[in-house]
Amino acid sequence: MNLTALKGRILEVISLCVAVFLWQMVSDYVVRNYFILPSPYLVARSLLELWTTLPVDIAISMLHFGIGLSLGTVVGVSVGAVTGWFRVADRIADPIIEIIRPIPPLAWVPFAIVWFHLTHRAAGFIVFIGAVFPILINTYAGFRGVPRDLVDAALVLGCKKEKLMLRVAFPYALPSIATGVRIGMGVGWMCVVAAEMFGVSRSGLGYRLFQIFYPHHKMAELMLYMLILGLISLLLDRVFRHFVEERLLAWKKGLVAEA
Amino acid sequence: MMKRVVIFCLLLAAATPFLLGCIAPPPEKGMVIRFGYQPSTHQVAFMLAMEKGWWQSDLARLGVVCVTEAEFPSGPPEMQAMLAGDIDVAYVGATPPITAIDKGLKAKIVAGVQINGSHLVVKPELAESFTAEKLRGAKIATFPPGSIQNTILRKWLLENGLDPEKDVDIVAMGPGDAVTAMGAGAVDAAFLPHPYPAIIELEGSGVMVVPSGNMWPNHACCCLLVSEKLLEEHPEIVKQIIKTHINATLYCREHPDEAAEVYARKCGWDVSQVKYSLDTWDGMWVYDPYIGLNCTLEYARVLYELGYTEKLLTREDLFNTTLYDEAVAELGL
Repeated sequence: MNLTALKGRILEVISLCVAVFLWQMVSDYVVRNYFILPSPYLVARSLLELWTTLPVDIAISMLHFGIGLSLGTVVGVSVGAVTGWFRVADRIADPIIEIIRPIPPLAWVPFAIVWFHLTHRAAGFIVFIGAVFPILINTYAGFRGVPRDLVDAALVLGCKKEKLMLRVAFPYALPSIATGVRIGMGVGWMCVVAAEMFGVSRSGLGYRLFQIFYPHHKMAELMLYMLILGLISLLLDRVFRHFVEERLLAWKKGLVAEA
Repeated sequence: MMKRVVIFCLLLAAATPFLLGCIAPPPEKGMVIRFGYQPSTHQVAFMLAMEKGWWQSDLARLGVVCVTEAEFPSGPPEMQAMLAGDIDVAYVGATPPITAIDKGLKAKIVAGVQINGSHLVVKPELAESFTAEKLRGAKIATFPPGSIQNTILRKWLLENGLDPEKDVDIVAMGPGDAVTAMGAGAVDAAFLPHPYPAIIELEGSGVMVVPSGNMWPNHACCCLLVSEKLLEEHPEIVKQIIKTHINATLYCREHPDEAAEVYARKCGWDVSQVKYSLDTWDGMWVYDPYIGLNCTLEYARVLYELGYTEKLLTREDLFNTTLYDEAVAELGL
């Protein structure tokens, strides 16, 4: 790690420490009501009390997230690619997608129960609804944006017409697909809480938040789980960026403008 | 271009207070009493008194210029609103105030509202010659741990030789989700407050088999909770609230059909469904806080043992029956 990077890290740590200190001060001396604003100390103490249930809750939520995101990626990329590349498919699918897309994931809960019963798949379905559309739309945009020159050049160089989609359009659309998956991950993770509110399991971050902590006004525990939801989302995003942007899309370095 | 965006944003910022002023209610001069309630037949006394204008007319003599109401989907957000100081009086289930008072809510239960009124409903194939043993291995939908329904169900299962943790699968969900789950066959049984068991039976996806009064006779369900600020600063208003609540409860008991119509109109239900629910439930609208007192203290013990409250709350922590006693004496009941 060079000196500049180290300085950046130190700044980040100082920023976090100052935020926690201010939070503690505001909680203790300004608000002075742990129901309205639990202090970082109480939140940390609740972490010690919940260290046995927390790993199980994270595992179950990751299971729901994994089901929804993997299905969302498969469906979103497939449908987005086909509708983005073939005009007829776009005409057929667009009105259907545009009607379904604005429906909030929470509104699908009754159908999740009816179609999948009280299973992990039902929770995965709610995550899927949240994740699929950003992936689909970004994939669509990626395929729609393939430059004519690129297609012509590929044809001149001997690429067969039926292979254009896979060999030319797909690599060109990869950065858009990656952006879609990244946004889909964020939205899907937000849906995990909603997905665990209707009895699909007796564990999970959302279950614990809404069925245990909220009804009993356990605000420190609530805050802890909210922070954990945020931290896991951050971690997922960093891992995704590391593997996709740094490895899979490494070829982009030098081709795009960087400030 | 940038200049235009900046001008637009500044104009929008300048217009915001005026726009908000147009949609915000005008400030009331004088005392305002803010009620919270849930859209349940258990709390129909509140709705009836509101519809008939009794709250407004009875409290106006004491300087109250406005009575407002806020509907809540369940007890926890209602208590959250009370903790935040947004409501003064709450019609609410007996357990949400326990955890809220434990977390610092300054409020007291001043009157009873309703007892019993929940039903175990099972899928039709389990209903014939029903015994608790038929629930072995069943998936049962009810409210989350610590709620009245969850507590009563677990107690009843234990009394009937079933371990709630091992012999059945109790899944926590809201009433709407539970009705859907019964309809889809996703659960084998549900233990819910009325009118939901009646809805399930009317839809043909379940049969009501055990009323909650058989599981725990005369168990407390809903109560009338008043903020300590109102109690301390305006005891005469609280006493009048109790009197109006008593009158509304007695009226509901004498005119259940009218109560059903008020509820159906206010909450958007079919009146025949509401009447069927009131015909089949074992619930009773009450006003006496002493009926549910011991039961509420038992709920407090269960919540403490489950770790949902920091301390074991006592009668003094939860109840203030002084004004009720005075109100009853003045009404000659």
